[in-house]
Amino acid sequence: MLSPVPPSSAISVSGLVKRYGDRAVVDGLDLEVKTGEVFAFLGRNGAGKTTTIEILEGYRTRDAGEVSVLGVDPAHGDGAWRARIGMVLQQSQPVGTLTVTEILRLYAAYFPRTRPVDDVIALVGLQEKSGERASRLSGGQLRRLDVAVALVGDPELLFLDEPTTGFDPDARRMFWDVISGLRETGTTIFLTTHYMDEAEALADRVGILRDGHIVALGTAPELQAQRGGVEIRFVLPSGVTPADLPNLSGAGTRAGEEMRISTTAPTADLAVLCGWAAGKGIELASLSVQRPSLEDVFLAIAGNDAAVGS
Amino acid sequence: MLRAQVHADLLAFRRAPSALFFTVGLPVIFLVLFEAIFGDQKVPGAGGGEISLSTLQVPGFMVMGVVSASFVSLCITVVNRREAGVFKRVRGTPAPAWVLIAGQVVTTLVIAILMVVTMLLIGRFGYDVQMNTAEIPWLVLSVLVGAIAFACLGMAAAAFVPSLDAAAPTANLIVLPLYFISGVFVPVSELPDWLANIAMYLPIRPFVEMLAYPYNPGTSLPWSSLLVLAAWGIAGLVVAARFFRWTPRHS
Repeated sequence: MLSPVPPSSAISVSGLVKRYGDRAVVDGLDLEVKTGEVFAFLGRNGAGKTTTIEILEGYRTRDAGEVSVLGVDPAHGDGAWRARIGMVLQQSQPVGTLTVTEILRLYAAYFPRTRPVDDVIALVGLQEKSGERASRLSGGQLRRLDVAVALVGDPELLFLDEPTTGFDPDARRMFWDVISGLRETGTTIFLTTHYMDEAEALADRVGILRDGHIVALGTAPELQAQRGGVEIRFVLPSGVTPADLPNLSGAGTRAGEEMRISTTAPTADLAVLCGWAAGKGIELASLSVQRPSLEDVFLAIAGNDAAVGS
Repeated sequence: MLRAQVHADLLAFRRAPSALFFTVGLPVIFLVLFEAIFGDQKVPGAGGGEISLSTLQVPGFMVMGVVSASFVSLCITVVNRREAGVFKRVRGTPAPAWVLIAGQVVTTLVIAILMVVTMLLIGRFGYDVQMNTAEIPWLVLSVLVGAIAFACLGMAAAAFVPSLDAAAPTANLIVLPLYFISGVFVPVSELPDWLANIAMYLPIRPFVEMLAYPYNPGTSLPWSSLLVLAAWGIAGLVVAARFFRWTPRHS
């Protein structure tokens, strides 16, 4: 039934549909994730992220479409297939009365090929907590334990469903380091996240999901370029109004004290602007040229605020 | 793999103070209290004549120990693991389902056997209640059949418990009334006939009959009781196989 998947594809999805009642939560989703790639799946709550990842993991059935994960249809994935995959689920707690080492030894027993438990503990930075019971770990430490559990079977492919939700900034940085380290080892990583900076920091490619299908796909710079243009920003000098500024190709908007010139010709506009300012002996405070952030891109394509939490 | 699972499950059980108290401590405390209050009373024995109530209370609370370990404790643990996402997580590994189930059942058996030995020793040395040593094979058979049957019933009950909060009350609500009408808390000879007769077809009374036999032998082994209990176990297994789920209810 499945067309043969090129070995360079870790995940291949076409025309995926999942309905709950009349509502299609996933609605014609197409996706390829290459072997060794870190792919981030972005979308608002209810966009279908978790449903999709759980279909790829084999937890949920689908209503239509073709799915191949490591060359196997997840609906018929067996133990040998699961041995090649690591998962961090959105909600799951370990048995709290067991220690970090005990939990990892147990999970190691489930897998045919394993990484040494101590190595995995070091990889996620839990060496000092290895003898601690899981119930005494902080949220960030628990999540790292979760990742250690996912890694103990030495997976080729790692699924991470919102791995850093609820982390403090330090814990997120540490977590990112762990993921970056895994990329070095060639592990394919598929992650969902709410955080744009996380996707930007970790992912080779980003897919933005809206209403059950992908509406934007590419590297972060590609998506930013699709948005078009850059912004020249500076603080309006005192006594100068927007009307006093020279003619520029881009349109200007004022945000408080700051002027923002949105332009597709930043070099020419900057030359005019700087020539004008230098001629008048004006220093343009906080002058900068910025690409739209991934967050701007996301807000523009992921759907309006009314869709949040739907 | 199974060894690692049983090792982890036993470790987790040993480290949970509430499970330890309610499963192991409570039946022991009940036995000691009931012995202090009613131990000297006389009741009709199975082989005619009178025996002390102690002779029936020791196997009665042995039943409570086994049922606590298998039915109550197993039901709570299974709901806990399911709702916390532990089972879901393990189902994402190569571990086959039977390892998880066998881990729970073997853990249950180990605790149940420890409970039986504890009660046996307390009865023997605390209250001088002796069993007919020729009936030890029967006792072993009864404990195995009973623990496995109640483990199956515990799995079945867990399938219908919606949340962890509801697990302990539900399990206890099922067994507590049965203890009263099955000869654990109150001698069967004190019960109205109709109540005692109903209890014969529910799971705990047959188990009491089975464990009481080595202490208070009648004319023949209570095979019919064993069949009733085994039938309950099979029914539990069928229901569990049909309704058991690995993933949390609220996901």
